[in-house]
Amino acid sequence: METFEWGILVVNYLFLAGVSAGAFAISSFATYIGGPHFRRVARIGALIAPWPVAVGVGLLVLDLGRPLAFWHLFLTVQYTSPMSIGSWLLTGFIGLSLVYAALWVPAPFDHLLRVPTRVQDVLHFTRWRLLAPQTIRRARAILAALGFPLSLGVGIYTGILLGAVPSRPFWNTPMLAQLFLFSAMSTGTATVLLVTALIGARHADGLEEERRLLISSDVVLIVLEIFMLIPFLLHHALSTWSSASSIELILGGEYTLWFWIGVILLGILLPLAIEAYELFPVILKEGAARYSLALSAASGVLVLVGGFILRLVFVYAGQASHFLPVVAR
Amino acid sequence: MTSENKKRWGMVIETRRCIDCKACMVACEIENQVPLGKHRNWVGQIGPTGTFPTLGLRFEPGNCMHCENPPCERVCPTGATYQREDGIVLIDYDKCIGCRYCMQACPYDARYFDQARGVVDKCTFCVHRLDAGQPPACVETCVGGARHYGDLNDPNSEVSKLLATNEHTVIYEEAGTEPKVFYIS
Repeated sequence: METFEWGILVVNYLFLAGVSAGAFAISSFATYIGGPHFRRVARIGALIAPWPVAVGVGLLVLDLGRPLAFWHLFLTVQYTSPMSIGSWLLTGFIGLSLVYAALWVPAPFDHLLRVPTRVQDVLHFTRWRLLAPQTIRRARAILAALGFPLSLGVGIYTGILLGAVPSRPFWNTPMLAQLFLFSAMSTGTATVLLVTALIGARHADGLEEERRLLISSDVVLIVLEIFMLIPFLLHHALSTWSSASSIELILGGEYTLWFWIGVILLGILLPLAIEAYELFPVILKEGAARYSLALSAASGVLVLVGGFILRLVFVYAGQASHFLPVVAR
Repeated sequence: MTSENKKRWGMVIETRRCIDCKACMVACEIENQVPLGKHRNWVGQIGPTGTFPTLGLRFEPGNCMHCENPPCERVCPTGATYQREDGIVLIDYDKCIGCRYCMQACPYDARYFDQARGVVDKCTFCVHRLDAGQPPACVETCVGGARHYGDLNDPNSEVSKLLATNEHTVIYEEAGTEPKVFYIS
């Protein structure tokens, strides 16, 4: 395999940023469609959201030639550079999602939500009062609303970062941004699904609705991914020389198996089949969704594995694609 | 304002004069202390083409095209890559954080990552020599006289005269990068 400037650290970063964006989005969505049934989804999504992207950004900084000089990113706004816009976007998203996560910390760990009610109490932590439930609910709703577009922004940014590079024909299509966005949303939803499945539930109240929300959201997102992948393949194959040649990297070329087995089979078709199987009774109006820990865990893990391989294939295959003709040096 | 301020440095390469001796690469690497294994310029090989006995072989030397519309500058998140008033594309090594996005954006693969310094580097058109009134090292050393440099805005410069009297091309013209390295074959 060729050696590429952008390697596994960048792959991980794109994947982790996507997971966070998706976890926040599903949490925000659950907050807004409301009701006690979706409280757990909103909470788990919120508590997960800040961390993967924080780790991812850490990896990205480590990948720099001069990690300690990263702050140069924040002395400027280069509006023609997706990476510059993305840096600011990620900073805003991580900050906001940390506050949002704090608002969802459950009792008895909710000391983060204690605030001084009088000026003279500022230095007396024991006198700080827990925010009123009404205030917490309102703050959650506001941050969910503000953060939702930010999370979509982070999700789509990971695709634009690659897609906005004309000299890499494999990347250079508007479909890439949407594909990465839907994949991000799907991996975030799958993470929440996986965690809810692993935690289990103390009482069955509302579980049916919760599962239906997560599984059907993921089905919709996976189908949207398919709707992006088909035109991605067609447009490339029917496009100019450089573009049509670049798609051969996954149509017989070096990344064919990674793409068709890793992305399409493991990441899309299998989890879609499992989730469709789970939802069949609901679709046919014959009863509750089929559910087991094994099914949910399997579909969740498959979506995550597929989402990771998707980024692996795109980061590497993109760097292997060039304008043609390439003159041997 | 004098014409000095409106300089537009460019290069013309006559591929028919290139014999693939790679002296330009050696001169550049010594002049600019390029890390071992990295190159700021190169000699590409096109061919052999055709069928015996009408075979063809052509060499295509190159370096950073100092594009008028540089994609590397556009994607740089810190503004480290910039274009000088005379059109030369340079890197501010204090601002470069080594993210290598510019290397993805350059269609000419003209940039390399300097591991030791943690920054991206490339041909500077030998600005240090230009500013002292000397030609770029690769131009000065070229044994076949294939490499020419000069002010594209000055109709009496060597490059302007060559371009006015010869058919010429640029690489990946369709990319809209408007390179300032021109080729006469």
